[in-house]
Amino acid sequence: MARAVTSRRKLINTGIAWAIGLLIFFPILWTILTSFKTEAQAIASPPLFINFDWTLENYGVVMERSNYARFLWNSIIIAGGSTILGLIIAVPAAWSMAFVPSKRTKDILLWMLSTKMLPAVGVLYPIYLLFIQLGLLDSRAGLVIVMMLINLPIIIWMLYTYFREIPGEILEAARMDGATLKEELIYILTPMAIPGIASTMLLNFILAWNEAFWTLNLTAVDAAPLTAFIASYSSPEGLFFAKLSAASTMAIAPILILGWFSQKQLVRGLTFGAVK
Amino acid sequence: MAHTADTDFKTRLQSWLPKLVLSPSLAMVLVFVYGFILFSVYLSFTDSRLLPSYGWVGLENYSKLWRLSHWEISLTNMGIFAALYITICTVLGLSLAIFLDQKIRAEGLIRTIYLYPMALSFIVTGTAWKWFLDPGIGLENVLQTWGWTSFEFDWIKDRDFAIYTVVLAAVWQTSGFVMAMFLAGLRGIDNEILKAAQMDGASNWNLYRRIIIPQLRPAFLSAFVILSHLAIKTFDLVIALTGGGPGRATELPATFMYSYTFTRNQMGIGAASATIMLMTIAAIMIPYLYAELREKK
Repeated sequence: MARAVTSRRKLINTGIAWAIGLLIFFPILWTILTSFKTEAQAIASPPLFINFDWTLENYGVVMERSNYARFLWNSIIIAGGSTILGLIIAVPAAWSMAFVPSKRTKDILLWMLSTKMLPAVGVLYPIYLLFIQLGLLDSRAGLVIVMMLINLPIIIWMLYTYFREIPGEILEAARMDGATLKEELIYILTPMAIPGIASTMLLNFILAWNEAFWTLNLTAVDAAPLTAFIASYSSPEGLFFAKLSAASTMAIAPILILGWFSQKQLVRGLTFGAVK
Repeated sequence: MAHTADTDFKTRLQSWLPKLVLSPSLAMVLVFVYGFILFSVYLSFTDSRLLPSYGWVGLENYSKLWRLSHWEISLTNMGIFAALYITICTVLGLSLAIFLDQKIRAEGLIRTIYLYPMALSFIVTGTAWKWFLDPGIGLENVLQTWGWTSFEFDWIKDRDFAIYTVVLAAVWQTSGFVMAMFLAGLRGIDNEILKAAQMDGASNWNLYRRIIIPQLRPAFLSAFVILSHLAIKTFDLVIALTGGGPGRATELPATFMYSYTFTRNQMGIGAASATIMLMTIAAIMIPYLYAELREKK
């Protein structure tokens, strides 16, 4: 919606918008800044903004003491593994529903998507018990599977909405020209589907990276990812403010970067496609 | 001949392939979501404690659950939390969207910043807020050392106010996301109608009140449904921010269920609470999804 706005007004609005933006971003910014302070500077009064001696000391300490690398590696394996596994299963399913829909397709989608909205506690027992039985507790493989399962409906749904945007006429034209199903898939669909698949991948990676309910419940030491690592800094103690900040910064850095590229996917995915 | 056989094969392939590739996903959702939910619901009718047990006790767990003050506190907290969270996020989200819609420089950049908190893990933001809100080292301390010595902000330690700190952190996390939903709604409004109304001399206020906001009905509905299901699912944030405390002051149904299952070994009662949560969400979500999908046909 565009309305005539004077340029002075626009400037003022922009200023206010930035002020609000700064306010919203402040907790994140402050965490990042604090991570570069010494513990004494972190709780100094009055607080120091940027005029302190920047140090990487906290990062060194956190990495050394807490085995940060292992948490990070677990996060990467769990988020990456579940995303790839999920795509392998979801791409054919979404392809089938988008291009060869049957009468039931809408109902199946609705039925699948509805599961994503149910609280995870509803399936916690069975999964927990199954994990004990199969010896999957605190294993990366187990978490990869669980993350894949809980995000599968949203992956299928996202892919479906992206695939639906590929014009069917192109496929028909290719068929008329005598393209086989294989050729159709490889030369026509795949290139057109890649942006949608990439978007879905990004969203799913972020969702899996941030997931905490399952990681807290199903991991202890070996498979614990960064969310569990952060949760271990549970009691505020002035002495460790800078180290907590360094740990948090390391946990959110990948998301701050990925988030930049994925805002559209985030809104689309989290609203179940209501906002494109 | 070869050609016909080939075509034949192709036709057959094309008829069964779609169903074949869809079936693993269907089977997984069927077993791991619906199957497991049914199992949980079943457990809620049994005398399971530390481990599942299959002694049928009917509705006993439900009647026990409703007599627990712990559950009552969780529900009251849920009521306070959901009402405030949904209302504040909607109002803030809509205001921010209307504001950003006024042609602002570098809008894309600002939108991303507003949306950032939602991209972060509730565990990370919850932990950060816990430190900020801690009277000893956070906001209270900062403002006191800046000379405002009478400033007090210890809600997170106060039984009567701790739940509002959960609201604060949750609102911070989600408002930008709600804004994005409303902004998309605003951008979808037909410009012609607005121009016509402006020509007729409608004031800005009337324009919003009578034309724009009524047209945002679908956005309001989506925001309401998505915020309510987020509210009922809230778990990580409370765990990171307050751990349900002080005392039980910030317990929500999800944290209640967690503690009854894993620390109190009352699986039957925990399952009963999970069943109630599932039914509540289903009652809100299913009509919405149904309407949403039907519309887009």
